[in-house]
Amino acid sequence: MIKKFDKKDEESGSGSNPFQHLEKSAVLQEARIFNETPINPRRCLHILTKIIYLLNQGEHFGTTEATEAFFAMTRLFQSNDQTLRRMCYLTIKEMANISEDVIIVTSSLTKDMTGKEDVYRGPAIRALCRITDTTMLQAIERYMKQAIVDKVPSVSSSALVSSLHMVKMSYDVVKRWVNEAQEAASSDNIMVQYHALGLLYHLRKNDRLAVSKMLNKFTKSGLKSPFAYCMLIRIASKLLEETEGGHDSPLFDFIESCLRNKNEMVVYEAASAIVHMPTCSARELAPAVSVLQLFCSSPKAALRYAAVRTLNKVAMKHPSAVTACNLDLENLITDSNRSIATLAITTLLKTGSESSVDRLMKQISSFVSEISDEFKVGRANIWCVCVCVCVCVCSGGGGSGHQLPLPEVSQEAQRHDELPVQHAPSDGVFLSSDVSVDHLWLCADRWDNHTASSSMSLRPTLSPSL
Amino acid sequence: MDSQTEPSLYTVKAVLILDNDGDRLYAKYYDDTYPTVKEQKAFEKNIFNKTHRTDSEIALLEGLTVVYKSNIDLFFYVIGSSHENELMLMAVLNCLFDSLSQMLRKNVERRALLENMEGLFLAVDEIVDGGVILESDPQQVVHRVALRTFLFPSQVLQSAKEQIKWSLLR
Repeated sequence: MIKKFDKKDEESGSGSNPFQHLEKSAVLQEARIFNETPINPRRCLHILTKIIYLLNQGEHFGTTEATEAFFAMTRLFQSNDQTLRRMCYLTIKEMANISEDVIIVTSSLTKDMTGKEDVYRGPAIRALCRITDTTMLQAIERYMKQAIVDKVPSVSSSALVSSLHMVKMSYDVVKRWVNEAQEAASSDNIMVQYHALGLLYHLRKNDRLAVSKMLNKFTKSGLKSPFAYCMLIRIASKLLEETEGGHDSPLFDFIESCLRNKNEMVVYEAASAIVHMPTCSARELAPAVSVLQLFCSSPKAALRYAAVRTLNKVAMKHPSAVTACNLDLENLITDSNRSIATLAITTLLKTGSESSVDRLMKQISSFVSEISDEFKVGRANIWCVCVCVCVCVCSGGGGSGHQLPLPEVSQEAQRHDELPVQHAPSDGVFLSSDVSVDHLWLCADRWDNHTASSSMSLRPTLSPSL
Repeated sequence: MDSQTEPSLYTVKAVLILDNDGDRLYAKYYDDTYPTVKEQKAFEKNIFNKTHRTDSEIALLEGLTVVYKSNIDLFFYVIGSSHENELMLMAVLNCLFDSLSQMLRKNVERRALLENMEGLFLAVDEIVDGGVILESDPQQVVHRVALRTFLFPSQVLQSAKEQIKWSLLR
């Protein structure tokens, strides 16, 4: 009996999920209609959707039942329905590892990949490469090469990305397609550029000279793709690091020039690359830092987060380079995103002067009291940082007559015993396992640098829980 | 300073869609950061707990960068390593959300999504392939998914009339 979507499920209110009571054996039983002719595309599509949903939920399929379902699905290639065909490709990919003899669809996929329907070609390539082994790959080699240089961007991208996936398995075969990939890199399409560049790099990465030549060519030719630019920046940084290239190297100039790119993804990538270079002076960091400073006031949380996170890293080695951003960082302490707020605080800890840390303390205490109890995790986070601020202020400013706020902080923290805190030995420092490792290490570092006694070191307390 | 990570096209670790209760509606993991279903679901529960009450877009959780977006009763996540360009991950998230928004005619909510799961499966398939960003333009994604909605006979006639009308106007 054919089981359709139960109308009852759809009507029983917004809480219902038509897939909720799916039972694997029932769905596989339904899949037998794939063998019927004529094929009913709508019903078959529903069933395939249910199978993929089950797989997606983590349902386990045994080899025999998977193989049976797979074979039944291959009958659906007889239908010309586009959505059904696309779902077949998806099913092939999803079941490639759990069904046996999946290579029986090779000829159907090869046919679609070289056929007239553009909407099939890209997905067919990707499905085919999912089930191919080295021997088969050589058999379809000429189709792959043609696809890589195809004018239709989705076909080219699919071929390039699939080739990349196959590098691990068949490096020697894919290496032969380098010229086609090179040609594809001159495409106008921003994703094809990105994919071609990626494949070329993966094929050449062990040959430093080849990578260098490639970079030279692409940095001059002015690619359009922001994704490709990000990749180029990363490759350039890596090459600079490996060759210990100086900052008068054209590679560095290229990265620096990317700070002026129109696309903020590229600008950020460049700033991040410069910041991560092991041998950057404060002067060389300056343009990157000023860009990050701008990002601190972006309306996009992701950009503020990326900026403050990177500034945090700069502050570790060159706190003076970040001082110019202190005001912008202080504005971020009250950011609605807890991660941003915490990062701003920990950055200011390193870059702030004593008077500014004072101001910081006041701001933190007033802001913490505003956080409602709902934001327990965030609260624990902020409390941890407050405590660490106190600790640092005390350790750093002992001689300047600062009030020791520790007892007050300890008391406050003790009142909130629903917070996930553990006590550290006698100094009243509370730690929460919810705070990110980065932040805790930073605070611990500063504390340890100022404390002679190892019994007060925070590190041993931190390690077990993290 | 962190050592530079290997430049790579493999930038996405996972794409997730959870419902209002934090239950999985869709999940695609592209590497073995969480190799078993059990670990995956534990991860999903954790990130849901830490993100569903806030509107914050981005967080560092379990050592991974998590960018997220919610709408009515759905929560969308794109996960990458903490070394990844956060804006790149946002680009994937926005592409997914905008593509679905077009396909569901702006009804990006649980019920509509569940009635169009094949559209979702195909859309994600066009956006990320094996962890590599395949496409970032939602228009392209919608075009490539090429969903034909199934219509009953009277609707077929209506639709045909509409098609003719629009083709004359073009």
